[in-house]
Amino acid sequence: MIVNLPILSIVIGIFSYFALCDKPILRGIDPQRAQLYANNNDKFTCFDGKKTIKYTQLNDDYCDCADASDEPGTSACVSGRFFCINAGFKSLIIPSSRVNDGICDCCDGSDEYFSNAKCINNCIELGSADRLREKQLAELLKNGNQLRLELAQKGKKLKEDQKIRLAELEKSKDQANKIREEKRQIKADAEIFENDALNVYRQAEEESKKQKEEEEAQKNRVEAEETFLKYDSNSDGKVDITELQTRIVFDKNRNGIVEIEEARYFLDDNDELDLESFITLGWPKIKPFLMLDSGLFKPPRRNDEPIDDEEEEHEVEQQGGEEPNEEAELLNEEEEQHHEEEGEFDEEAQEEPQNEAPPTPQVQYDDETQRLIHEANEARNQYDIADREYREIETEFNKIKSALEKDFGPEEEFAPLNGECFNYEDREYIYKLCMFDKATQQPKSGGSETRLGGWDGWKSNDYRQMFYSNGAGCWNGPSRSTLVDIECGLDTRILSVTEPNRCEYNFKIQTPAACFAALSADTHDEL
Amino acid sequence: MSRRLCLLIFTLFIINALAVDKNNFKTCEQASFCKRSRNVNYEKSPYEIVPNTLNINANYITADIVNKENGHLFVLKLEGIKGNTFHFEIDEKTPLKPRYRVVDALQKEPTYEAVKVSSSTSDITVTCGENKAVISTAPFKIDFYQKDVLSVTANSKAKMHFEHLRKKLEGEQHQQNNENEEKDNVVDNNQQIQDEPGTWEENFKGHHDTKPNGPTAVALDFTFHQSNVLFGIPEHADSFALKTTVGNGDPYRLYNLDVFEYELNSRMALYGSVPVIYGHGEKGTTGIFWQNAAETWIDIAGTSNEQNVMESIVNFVAGSRNQDAPSAHFISESGIMDVFVLLGPTPNEAFKQYTDLIGHGNLPQMFAIGYHQCRWNYNDEQDVMSVAHKFDEHDIPMDTMWLDIEYTDSKKYFTWDHQKFPHPVEMIKNLTDMGRHLTFIIDPHIKRDSGYFFHNDCTDRGYYIKTKEGKDYEGWCWPGSASYPDFFNPEIRKYYADQYLMENFHENSPETGIWNDMNEPSVFNGPEITMLKDNLHYGGWEHRDVHNLYGQMQLVGTFDGLIRRSQNQLRPFILTRAHFSGTQRYAAVWTGDNAAEWGHLEAAIPMCLSLSVAGISFCGSDVGGFFGNPEAELFSRWYQTSAFMPFFRSHAHIDTKRREPWLFPEETKLIIRDAIRKRYSFLPFWYTIFYEHERTGMPIMRPLLAQYPLDKNVFSIDTHFMLSDKLLIRPVMQKGASKVDVYFPSRNGDKQGDIWYDIDDYRKIDHVGSESVTVNAYKVPVFQRGGTIIPRKMRIRRSAILMHDDPITLVVALDAKKHAKGTLYIDDEKSYGYRQGKYLYLEFEFKDGVLSSRLIDESASYNTKTWLERVIIVGLDKVPTEATLRTSSNQSTKLEIVDASKTSFTIRKPGVSMMEPTWSITLN
Repeated sequence: MIVNLPILSIVIGIFSYFALCDKPILRGIDPQRAQLYANNNDKFTCFDGKKTIKYTQLNDDYCDCADASDEPGTSACVSGRFFCINAGFKSLIIPSSRVNDGICDCCDGSDEYFSNAKCINNCIELGSADRLREKQLAELLKNGNQLRLELAQKGKKLKEDQKIRLAELEKSKDQANKIREEKRQIKADAEIFENDALNVYRQAEEESKKQKEEEEAQKNRVEAEETFLKYDSNSDGKVDITELQTRIVFDKNRNGIVEIEEARYFLDDNDELDLESFITLGWPKIKPFLMLDSGLFKPPRRNDEPIDDEEEEHEVEQQGGEEPNEEAELLNEEEEQHHEEEGEFDEEAQEEPQNEAPPTPQVQYDDETQRLIHEANEARNQYDIADREYREIETEFNKIKSALEKDFGPEEEFAPLNGECFNYEDREYIYKLCMFDKATQQPKSGGSETRLGGWDGWKSNDYRQMFYSNGAGCWNGPSRSTLVDIECGLDTRILSVTEPNRCEYNFKIQTPAACFAALSADTHDEL
Repeated sequence: MSRRLCLLIFTLFIINALAVDKNNFKTCEQASFCKRSRNVNYEKSPYEIVPNTLNINANYITADIVNKENGHLFVLKLEGIKGNTFHFEIDEKTPLKPRYRVVDALQKEPTYEAVKVSSSTSDITVTCGENKAVISTAPFKIDFYQKDVLSVTANSKAKMHFEHLRKKLEGEQHQQNNENEEKDNVVDNNQQIQDEPGTWEENFKGHHDTKPNGPTAVALDFTFHQSNVLFGIPEHADSFALKTTVGNGDPYRLYNLDVFEYELNSRMALYGSVPVIYGHGEKGTTGIFWQNAAETWIDIAGTSNEQNVMESIVNFVAGSRNQDAPSAHFISESGIMDVFVLLGPTPNEAFKQYTDLIGHGNLPQMFAIGYHQCRWNYNDEQDVMSVAHKFDEHDIPMDTMWLDIEYTDSKKYFTWDHQKFPHPVEMIKNLTDMGRHLTFIIDPHIKRDSGYFFHNDCTDRGYYIKTKEGKDYEGWCWPGSASYPDFFNPEIRKYYADQYLMENFHENSPETGIWNDMNEPSVFNGPEITMLKDNLHYGGWEHRDVHNLYGQMQLVGTFDGLIRRSQNQLRPFILTRAHFSGTQRYAAVWTGDNAAEWGHLEAAIPMCLSLSVAGISFCGSDVGGFFGNPEAELFSRWYQTSAFMPFFRSHAHIDTKRREPWLFPEETKLIIRDAIRKRYSFLPFWYTIFYEHERTGMPIMRPLLAQYPLDKNVFSIDTHFMLSDKLLIRPVMQKGASKVDVYFPSRNGDKQGDIWYDIDDYRKIDHVGSESVTVNAYKVPVFQRGGTIIPRKMRIRRSAILMHDDPITLVVALDAKKHAKGTLYIDDEKSYGYRQGKYLYLEFEFKDGVLSSRLIDESASYNTKTWLERVIIVGLDKVPTEATLRTSSNQSTKLEIVDASKTSFTIRKPGVSMMEPTWSITLN
């Protein structure tokens, strides 16, 4: 506010202020605005023009103007502002409500002219301390900026190198892909021959399998029919509940009686079944029981209901001990890790199945077939090598590409920090910040690392705040996230870690990369 | 995939389960004494006065009562107490051992009054002043008359039930006894009790209660003949008007419990128990104070059960009142029958009769009436200071920063976590330098840690509550394994109080407030999250006998400690969660762990009204709701509501998002700022009504029926309330509301009402009935009653204590006769100097165009800088041209009239000092 006024007016302003400052009527006024309070025929008009009052009503400790303009030096107006000149330090504007409230807000004590507060004028000390601090800050900024420029240079170089490397990789990637495609073709051809040869053997095998199955089914039917006749004690061509109830083998819960529900279960929830439906619906349920009864069959794993099984397993896992809330948190984390692993696995799973050599056959292949298998194996190996090479190049390519896409500051000064990790220890945890990657927390007492967030982006466009989001989920809350406040410093390190909100972390770090000499001078003035 | 699904379902389940787990708490059916007593069903009560046992004394009579079923003898004592109150007690004539009597609730021995007695074979009439009690001898009952109006009857429904102490009969003896009985053909209800399960031991959720004394219940019913509504018996999260419970679920329960995520519209027990109930109707108000500290259930009959206020109003108007007069059946697990009958006849008189017995709430320090900023937890010193500074940055007044349990060294009270709080004394001083205070928590559970002095002292000296075997009882609470000092022992209370002293607890200050939480007591692994009933206290009493008093006894110690900490200079500020009859003598109470829901905001009013009429006026709810995250609108509406309730504190659970006002959108922050500043502008009024509360014992926060006892429509209104007899408040408590219905009550039950003025724009309302008032986000519908003068301070500082010297604005709101009266109380706002006459108590009156001021207590004086800044006159038709101030020294000064509008005008800057003994302002 002072900055834009001509120097002359400042001088006049200060002069007139000092000339008038003994008069309480002009208390609390910014010297720049003193002329607005000039006596005009013993009248004063509120700045909003809505009211004209006697000049003696200025600063008379009663608020007459709705815009508070008549009481700059008292606490009378609710929305008033009091100006303390604070000679030797920075001037300050405080709300009127802080005038004469017993607390020294102005270093010159001018706000407490009628209270019990004994204010000491310490503006000179504050001013010199402030200047010293500013000097130190300037020094720091100067040195820090030097380091920043070095970082920037490194960063730019890094970027250039990466760009070159990227171009190279792009080329070799194409090359490798071409080779891979060739090998894939050779492999495919070889596998066609191999497949044709093997098919002969497979068909034979399948036919014998089919035949076996048919025999099995026939046997099963005969068995079912026999059982049907046996159970249909009244020979009405139907097996019903009462008939089953006489067979103690169906006492599933072993309480000595076959209850209706138990009997119904074996009739697939029907009251009775005729022969055909008995064979399709009843028998599949009855047979295992009969086998179990005669010791032929060991039951638990039912292959036809895999989903149930899996669910059961998980239920068991979930029931295991611990407080439910911690449990859920744990599960969440576990889940996430699990998911990651799954992801990796999936990738392999998609690309690798062809690599599996056909199972070693029971039968002895003729020489020609064996030769074809051998050739196909060789082709598969060659393809694997080519594919691996391609993927290695691709990984590096992607890494560099994503690094190049990140915003490393106006002059790439943050680029050298990419992926660098810094630790910070407090009483309970070791915190780790891997720049542009992730923030984590690990209990000192051991235990696994918790992710406090992954790189999300800059929170402010002045490169003072980074945001890491989507960390491990929080019990009864959102997923963890971390805000990183960055200040200028001669080296890069974490200064403090706090958790101001449940599961919302705040890292304060310093780094030369944030020593924007020119930039910060500007913002300073704006303030 | 299925794993993920399972997890999802699991998580959903947990999130949806944000409600009380009722299974943790007993129903009446599960509490054997309640079940037995509730099922008592005599056609004719078996209790009778034994002929020729009447004993007449100056202030009381005694007579024997016999239970005809078993011949067991009891003694009735009935006495008169000054001010329309009777007291009676019934105890066993020769109990096997003494039964517990509550001695710590009454403030002092009541002032008894002479009684006159006349008797016949059928009844005994005891007259005391204008009132009388008529005892019917057989069957036994007592009718209490206020003047000649039958107000209340004890045992009119023959529910009286007194389980005398007995020896447990074992094996043969038992059998023999049964045979004898059959021979004599006597059916003894009490003998049947002997055999019922639950009488000699009781199990609940794996907890075993050994009940060495067997069945000891006492129960009695009261019928309120002149009443339409019953209210009182806090603490429940329910409507102000009590609902019928007979044949309709469980009775209201009083048993101090730490209920996790309590439920609304429920009669379940909560953190506190004040066994006082009132019946009110057009013909008057009657109260019953059932002085008993054991678990108590109250079965209500004959009251309206409409949830909806309007519905019940309609029914009242239609005259479809329940046929039976309302009644309350008190059932306690042990102790004696100890009953005070408060005969009113007006609501305020009945409330005062109760507080005259139990004690008036004390005038707090000014800072305690300001706004409190709390959270579980402000993490460290820097956090505390930065939040305090932020309030200044955003120019929002705030008086007190709070620290929840995390400030301690591993939940060891009277210690600090020096990692987070390395310089507590400096931190406290930094707050004090900003005109602010600190309040921190001290819970009753003591960590069992051999490195903890408090634990070692208690162990060595036997200060802990004992198990039935005489060992130190161990429970589980915040620190893990913990034990509980027996505050019933005066020596232990003294030890406890000593711990607050500066010489023992250095990192402390005489200025800090103390928060006693978890003092039901909360025991995480105990039955119903509290202590075993067969634990033993000082004097050999079972925990069963004293449970509801435990928290209050902690307060007695804390209060003593804080008084002594400041060398008797400063008024202690204590907040408690558990409470009982008399808690107002020591502490403020808040409504516990509520939730960030609109319903919980609405519940704050009936909950605090119920506490107010039960003597505890210094009441508030956690602004924003303890559990969960409030949306912006709910949050700001909560601030607005609480700004007009006595205790004003924001608080939040550790798992919630931070919610300091500036973390919300700017508009929300401004609404909150406005609400808090409104509170501060009324501080002189608040302080005055707190003083008058101490002086008169009448509630600060009042139900409308207290001021408008003849208007049936207000009997069950609990969305509105009054502050003293001057302000009517109807906060906005609905999401998205653009209008609220405000009911302006009737003085005579008909069309005659008061004039009301909206405090924001002085708009006048001069009709009786409901009016739809338009509201925006900033609006809190508050109305000043015509006929009142309210003192305010319009210079809003960053804290209340910084406004001490600021000038006064008087808002004179005129009634139909252009008349108004009001008061202002001024003192140093912190010390006990006022009890030595260092105060000013002024009465203002506006009459015939003259506003005058006089000292109510002429002998009192206080040196104040406060002066009269402006007088706003509301409701005068003509605006005068000027005014003249005359002081006692007969000086006269011309005053300017400014800001005149249709509804009001302002007398500019009279400037007269509030010390001036008399002055007047005449309108010309």
